[in-house]
Amino acid sequence: MTALLEVQNLSVAYGAIEAVRDVSFAVEQGQIVSLIGSNGAGKTTTLRTISGLIRPKSGRILFEGKPIGDLAAHSILERGVAHCPEGRRLFGRMTVEENLQLGAYVRKDEGVAKDMERVYELFPVLGQRKQQKAGLFSGGEQQMLAIGRAMMSKPRLLMLDEPSMGLSPIMTQLIFDTIRELQSQGTTILLVEQNALAALALSDRGYVVDLGRTTLEGPGHELLADERVRAAYLGED
Amino acid sequence: MATLLQQLINGLVLGAAIALIALGYTMVYGIIQLINFAHGEVFMVGGFASLATYSYVLPDSWKSDWYLALPLMAVGGALVAVVLAVIMERFAYRPLRNAPRLAPLITALGVSVVLKEAVRLWYPGATAPVPYPRAFVDKQFSVEAFGGRITIGSTALLMIAVSLIGAVVLQTYISRSRMGRAMRATAQDPDTARLMGVNPNRTIVLTFAIGAALAGIAGVLYGIHYTNVDTEVGFLYGIFAFTAAVLGGVGSIKGAVIGGFAIGLIKSLAGQYLPGGTSYDLVWIFILLIVVLVFRPQGLFGEPERVRA
Amino acid sequence: MSQLKDVLKPGLARPLAVGGGVLAVIAALLPWVTYKFAQYGGDNYPAAASLQFFDAPFQLEGYRLHTLILGVVVVVVALAPVPARHRVLRALGWGLVAVGVINTVFAAVEGGGLGAVTAADGAIAFGGFACVVAGVLAILAGIAGGIEHVHVWRAKVATPVAYLVLLVSFVVLLLLVAMMLNAGGQGGVGNPYAGPIFLSLLGFLAGALGALHGVGLTGWISKLSDQHKVFSVAVLVLCALALPFTEAGTDYWMTTAANIGIYAATAIGLNIVVGLAGLLDLGYVAFLGIGAFVAANFSGAAAAAFGVELPFVLAAIIAAVVAGIFGAIVGSPTLRVRGDYLAIVTLAFGEIFKKAAQNNIGGLTGGANAIPNVPPINWFGQSFDKSLTIGSLELPSGVLYYVLIIVLVALVMVVFANLKNARIGRAWIAIREDEDAARAMGIKTGQAKILAFLIGATLAGLAGAVFAHKTSTVAYDSFQFIESVTLLAAVILGGMGSIPGAVLGAALLLVLPEKLREFSDYRLMLFGLALILIMRFRPQGLVPDRHRRAELADEGAEGVPIEELNVHDTPGGSTAVAR
Repeated sequence: MTALLEVQNLSVAYGAIEAVRDVSFAVEQGQIVSLIGSNGAGKTTTLRTISGLIRPKSGRILFEGKPIGDLAAHSILERGVAHCPEGRRLFGRMTVEENLQLGAYVRKDEGVAKDMERVYELFPVLGQRKQQKAGLFSGGEQQMLAIGRAMMSKPRLLMLDEPSMGLSPIMTQLIFDTIRELQSQGTTILLVEQNALAALALSDRGYVVDLGRTTLEGPGHELLADERVRAAYLGED
Repeated sequence: MATLLQQLINGLVLGAAIALIALGYTMVYGIIQLINFAHGEVFMVGGFASLATYSYVLPDSWKSDWYLALPLMAVGGALVAVVLAVIMERFAYRPLRNAPRLAPLITALGVSVVLKEAVRLWYPGATAPVPYPRAFVDKQFSVEAFGGRITIGSTALLMIAVSLIGAVVLQTYISRSRMGRAMRATAQDPDTARLMGVNPNRTIVLTFAIGAALAGIAGVLYGIHYTNVDTEVGFLYGIFAFTAAVLGGVGSIKGAVIGGFAIGLIKSLAGQYLPGGTSYDLVWIFILLIVVLVFRPQGLFGEPERVRA
Repeated sequence: MSQLKDVLKPGLARPLAVGGGVLAVIAALLPWVTYKFAQYGGDNYPAAASLQFFDAPFQLEGYRLHTLILGVVVVVVALAPVPARHRVLRALGWGLVAVGVINTVFAAVEGGGLGAVTAADGAIAFGGFACVVAGVLAILAGIAGGIEHVHVWRAKVATPVAYLVLLVSFVVLLLLVAMMLNAGGQGGVGNPYAGPIFLSLLGFLAGALGALHGVGLTGWISKLSDQHKVFSVAVLVLCALALPFTEAGTDYWMTTAANIGIYAATAIGLNIVVGLAGLLDLGYVAFLGIGAFVAANFSGAAAAAFGVELPFVLAAIIAAVVAGIFGAIVGSPTLRVRGDYLAIVTLAFGEIFKKAAQNNIGGLTGGANAIPNVPPINWFGQSFDKSLTIGSLELPSGVLYYVLIIVLVALVMVVFANLKNARIGRAWIAIREDEDAARAMGIKTGQAKILAFLIGATLAGLAGAVFAHKTSTVAYDSFQFIESVTLLAAVILGGMGSIPGAVLGAALLLVLPEKLREFSDYRLMLFGLALILIMRFRPQGLVPDRHRRAELADEGAEGVPIEELNVHDTPGGSTAVAR
């Protein structure tokens, strides 16, 4: 069986600078897969390329076996790839409800209201403050809204970029619990994290991205045990 | 006193036209931060296109029935304006969307010159103001009050009504509809809007089109009220409308309307009461524009924006 | 473009080029129009446009000679070891296309349709089409071969040799300018040839220059002139002063050249504000106007507000100072306003000036009556509007204004060049690139920006003083918004931040309307189109400033490295698809 998402020898350049040189990985249906690596390793660029914000320079991106590398961002979303960007990027001057409605922008079915209720169940704090402007929320609450917004498109694959960034340990735990919950409900998840420990502990599979290349890969718990990973990313020597 | 009231009315009528044009400015600037210099010329073209609809398209028997002629002229003016705006967005502005900011502004300047020249050269008789028919809606209402006569024409009432209704409809559309949300999202954060599945090109074209339609309608109303259209009005009203948009706070619908009426009233009252009279009424507006840009660039209703480069 | 590249294998370059070159030679020998233009005295358009090779092979002239030259050069370049061959081929190809299209379109329009340039009345004339096809073949050959970087000559030469090279190049430049001014003669109803002949020559020269640029000759010369700056400037000024002695030394061209000079000086001033400091000024012509009105008021003209007649130099200095003060006032909002909002502020100031002048503010501008009869400058008993006789040599009238303006332009250029390379120039460029970073580095951005406006306005004021005396009538409607747009167009067309660019831009924008009198109605529309097309296809202008990262070239935005942007600067091919 083919993987849900397959990235083959992807390279991406900003002008003359190559941010991603040779990244390859695969995400199987139903898994949580994480890309870990230091700042500037090219993880965010990889996600932005998959979701169609940037064009790849070379390499292939296959979703359900079909190439999506040259589709527009909205077509990729329609295929079922949602991207919850780094730094939340909520529409701060819009209400919670409007943010969620935008998340469901590509959907034309009737279930939007019901799915919105589900987001409110998952994150009750959002449900209590539907009409408030998103910009007024705390970091953790904004992250919840960002995840909820991405879920509103009913994605087959949810890509989360640094969901724990800037959050307190308790809030981080809550977000990671939510990610596991989403997986159990059937969403495949591609996670980009600097918090390698938490990410790998959660993941079925992990890839280490370094200087624009995938250098190591393996099941999450194996990578977690790998000396090189521990040395480089978990602060041990 | 009667003079003051009459001037207030004149100012409101002028302001209504400015407000309609300012809506297009404010929307386009809100979404792609482009001062669409050519927007005033779109208004002017709308006026000429509606006149052409009247002169060359309408059958003679319809021309005397305002309820037939007027809507069709409005459709003609708005349609041409929209097509024009879509073309200029697609071929002049879109290729420059990632270019440094001066490039699209200079392009807009170029587009504005081209539009004005095209009409001046190719519309029959447009080297001078062209008379505009209004026989079908020339009813005047006047009252004796405050020791004088105050007159308001049906065209003036129509202009004020259309601009207010247009603004309310637009405000509702933008705050309630799916496309309105997409527009606001694109204005706030284009990349994230794309991640929501919003097609930025379509959204931006729609913004241009709505602005142009309003400007086209403003062109018709201008024509029937002032009974002529002139290639010179595009630049002038473009500046008025831009000033109105800035005064009200760029990106704000409410601001554009209030700004528009404010500019209309200032011009009308300054022409009557300030030294220099009508010779200097424009100067006051330009001074106001400078003062607003220097001291309150976010305008009256705009949110203080991040530092703009 | 990429698909085209896939089809065109590098191996095709040479056959395509040779084919194109041979076809161009054939095109030069073919007739170009099918009949004689009876209304122009039975001449063939413009000269020798019918097949006459066999009876008079050496009588090819004008555009057909140009076609022949380009064709032969294409063949030579294709076969000989020439550096940056494919770039050169492309430039030559664009030259051919320009020559072919211009003459064909003109002949078709004047001759009443396609028949005039294809086949009619038993005559055939496919020269123009062959020429265009030849040009396209040469361009395709260039694309097929891949575009190389401009060749760089590293040859070091002794100073005397360098002087000689520079002298020769500037003299050639002078002769070319004279030839271009004279090409086709003065435009107008009586001479419909003027426009196309001039444009065609322009296309030919652009192609040739592009080719020379490709092989590195122009780069080498400009490097030499950089090394010997003083000498170059001196020779350049001397060459400019020699123009009255060439075939362009007529009353008409002296007057036109003087006008160009005034606009060029003003454009250089604007270039400080826009090109160096990156502040868009849409009301700049107001400073020219202020200078002109000040000078007019001190000129002793009957309508002047002050009854005094100051010597020209003094009046000019006052004009420059007053304009400079207004420049600082207009520039002061830059302390708080940036970018396109600033552009609008300057536009508003420009409109306020116009309105004030229109209403004869303070009795200083004459309002709608203008200030007429400003006397010409008169030095040592020689009135500047009369012709000058030195010994047995009679120089055309207007020559003294021309000389004065050359001196003025040279002065402005020196000011510009010195400022650009001085501390303040670097501060301006830093502000242009990133104002916040400039401030963080300790640059007093407010001061620097106001200074840019002040200096720019002073130069414009100076030019305005000359303008007042030269045109003798100073009216508010010479200083409208559209004039500001024209100046801006000159700066942008030439290349922002570049001195030769500003002069070239001003020259093109003023000479073209003179040559294309028939189309003078379309002047403004062409300006508008030019602005749009330049921003779209060549935002760095015709003569980009070498030392700057083009503010308006969107490097990086779509992943094009900066070096590649220069790949496309064949002057004739400025509208080539950039990527």
